Amino acid sequence: MAIIKAEKTPDRPAPLSERSLIGWMHKNLFSSMFNSVLTLITLYVIYITVKSLWIWGIGDAVWVAETRRECFNISLDGACWAGVIAWLDNIFYGRYPREELWRVNLGAVLLVIWMIPLWLPRVKAKVFIGLSTVALYPFLAGYLFSGGDKGIFMQIMITAAITCLIANTIHSIIGVLTGESLPAFLMTRLGQNNAPDATQRNILIAITVSLLAIIFLWQMTWSVINVPWTKWGGLFLTLVISGVGIASALPGGIILALGRRSKLPVIRVLSTSFIEVFRSVPLITVLFMATTMFPLFMPEGFVLNKLVQVIIAVCLFNACYMAETVRAGLQAIPKGQFEGAHTIGLGYWGAMGLIIMPQALKHMIPNIVGSFIGLLKDTTLVSIIGLFDILGMLRSISKDVPWLGLHKEPLVFGAMLFFVLCFAMSKYSRHLETKLSTGHKN
Amino acid sequence: MAVDNRSNKSVRTKPKQRFDFFHDERVRSVLYQFLTAAIVGWFAWYLISNTAQNLQARGMNTGFSFIHTAAGFDTDFKLISYEPGVGTYGRIFLIGALNTLYVSALAIIASTMLGFAIGVLRLSNNWLVSKVSLAYVEIFRNTPLLIQIIFWYIGVFSLLPRVKNSIDLSAGTELVLLNNRGLYMAWPMPGDLLWMTGVALVIAIIGVVVFKRWAQKRQDVTGQSFPTFLPSVALLILLPGTVYVLTGMPLSWDIPRLEGFNFTGGASLPPAFLALLVALSIYHAAFFAETVRAGILSVNKGQSEAAFAIGLRQSRVYSLVIIPQAMPTIVPPMISLWMNVLKNSSLAIAIGYSDIVSLFMQTALNQAGYAVEMVGMTMAFYMVISLTISWLLNIYNKRVQLVER
Repeated sequence: MAIIKAEKTPDRPAPLSERSLIGWMHKNLFSSMFNSVLTLITLYVIYITVKSLWIWGIGDAVWVAETRRECFNISLDGACWAGVIAWLDNIFYGRYPREELWRVNLGAVLLVIWMIPLWLPRVKAKVFIGLSTVALYPFLAGYLFSGGDKGIFMQIMITAAITCLIANTIHSIIGVLTGESLPAFLMTRLGQNNAPDATQRNILIAITVSLLAIIFLWQMTWSVINVPWTKWGGLFLTLVISGVGIASALPGGIILALGRRSKLPVIRVLSTSFIEVFRSVPLITVLFMATTMFPLFMPEGFVLNKLVQVIIAVCLFNACYMAETVRAGLQAIPKGQFEGAHTIGLGYWGAMGLIIMPQALKHMIPNIVGSFIGLLKDTTLVSIIGLFDILGMLRSISKDVPWLGLHKEPLVFGAMLFFVLCFAMSKYSRHLETKLSTGHKN
Repeated sequence: MAVDNRSNKSVRTKPKQRFDFFHDERVRSVLYQFLTAAIVGWFAWYLISNTAQNLQARGMNTGFSFIHTAAGFDTDFKLISYEPGVGTYGRIFLIGALNTLYVSALAIIASTMLGFAIGVLRLSNNWLVSKVSLAYVEIFRNTPLLIQIIFWYIGVFSLLPRVKNSIDLSAGTELVLLNNRGLYMAWPMPGDLLWMTGVALVIAIIGVVVFKRWAQKRQDVTGQSFPTFLPSVALLILLPGTVYVLTGMPLSWDIPRLEGFNFTGGASLPPAFLALLVALSIYHAAFFAETVRAGILSVNKGQSEAAFAIGLRQSRVYSLVIIPQAMPTIVPPMISLWMNVLKNSSLAIAIGYSDIVSLFMQTALNQAGYAVEMVGMTMAFYMVISLTISWLLNIYNKRVQLVER
């Protein structure tokens, strides 16, 4: 006997083992005898670790004290965070003059303002904004941080940077509000949106030039006092070195990778040997080479300061690692892409810049960010050759008289700081990867 | 451009090839290469001439004669004999190189084993275990190695109890002791006839290999498996053991003894060495774990399902089906990670372990002052090793690819 129902029977709920907590635990934690034992052991290990860390770092820790002895008087087993808190300014800024700290902070804020548009979906011309950050921001920040006399070159670059920043900011605000670009918006406001291209261009040039002139005159009215690089330190110095390294590693790496894949034997051999030499030695030897041998390379009387030596070494070293990453990305591009690009009449640079490189770089985003993270971590090595970067500062806490012998807490704090930075970077790169992927997943 | 329709009808002639000097590909390539070579050559010459001038102006020593000069300083950790004032700088270089290789080799072994374990645990179907392994990987990968090394040195190995209250790691027999001066352990002292035991061991190993081959062949022919594990172990233990006993146990142990404020006798490892070893192993294990995980995930899921379907146990599925297929994916990145261990061992300089960089490139350079030569020799040491290894790796890759397709 068969019964056929006219209407659909309601769906039965999933079995209890699939949706209840107990079912989940049975499936994922206690599926077999072996797994149950493993789970219990792991739980015990987690309990021991977390408990001792909690007692040391939070439960028995001392947050307010004047000296390390005072810390000991309050609690013998707990961490003495008071020392780290007392040195917080030094950890972040090194020995930068305290009344000039606003300059460092302003530099950081300007960078954020400059970069924010890159994350806003409605803003146009992101490539231009990105390029202007790399090309102009360093001059503005460099002057803000070091100060002193502005040469004529610096004045021009600062003017260009400020103009660009203003234009970027207005452009992004307009972009967010209306979805238009700055030039189009200006033309509509001036009632010139139907004027011929030449007129529109001339108006834009006039506006830009007058803005440049005003800003040039304005920047002549102020200057900031000189802070020698020897006073730079802490996280600030670490970020300066790794920032310059990151900004220059990608262009340098692209050039070297193209050189290594070039058809011209001389260029290929030179690039390959350059890359292989720097990749086969540790960074610390390159840094030592920079500090002991760069002075010998320079003509007599020309002195390169240690910071510049270190930055050059870091840039060269990382460009070589980046070159291999970029090369791997280039190798993954099928040959049809090259041929297609040539077919539509693009030359070498056109094909590379418009077709090949964007795809190659997109493929390699996780690896590129991975090497940026490596660079950030490796920057701590400069403390070995005597710069007071964040690690140098963390280690000098233990030599400060009130906190004599305070080693562990600063190091743990530094490790946590780096963990937050690096972990955020790697998570963001995963997000970027999924956002930019165009569905070639197999 | 206007096209004349009538020209279609006329006989096509090959366009006259005009030789355009600046747009000819061959001319351009020669020109570019020549320009690059000239610029690089000029730059190199400029640096070299500057260096020569500076060296002369500062009266700095040049040449490699220092290799045979006696060095006046001592090191705390050395694998070969050396006397300060007698031993040469060449010997210092050798000590440094051996120390680097020693700590890197141990760290490579330890981190590979740990990384393999964590990589496999990361894929465990036990949720808690896989999350804990993930936390391990993320924590150690995202903090600078240098901070970790210094932490292990200052925060752990320097805070161990003093010599008198050493921690006994050998359960009360005082053979392996750990204190703030380092690790002390009993060390075997070979007697006269120990070589016979060694020969016996080699013979036993050859015997086991032959035996296994025979068992495999028999299984291939008849389909019957022959138990090989227990006989092999018995052969490996019994043959050398018998020879060792018959030759009168020619092996004595040099046991560390407390004399005054320190231990004498036995073998010892300084705290800096231990800190470096532990930090390198733990840090790189996180990277190995990710490599192993990626390699295992690269094996098609059908392979393990098929292996389960024919009734293999999980451990056999891993050892017979998954790991062998994952190896070609795992090995190349793993070897470059090994190179990273070697290169990162140069961070020893931060805690004063006498590796090649801190011993030769810093101490010896400060004493003797041959900057260019010493930096060059140190870099050449690393370069020779890594170029050799990448050459071997290329050979391996070619072989693996040939086997695959």
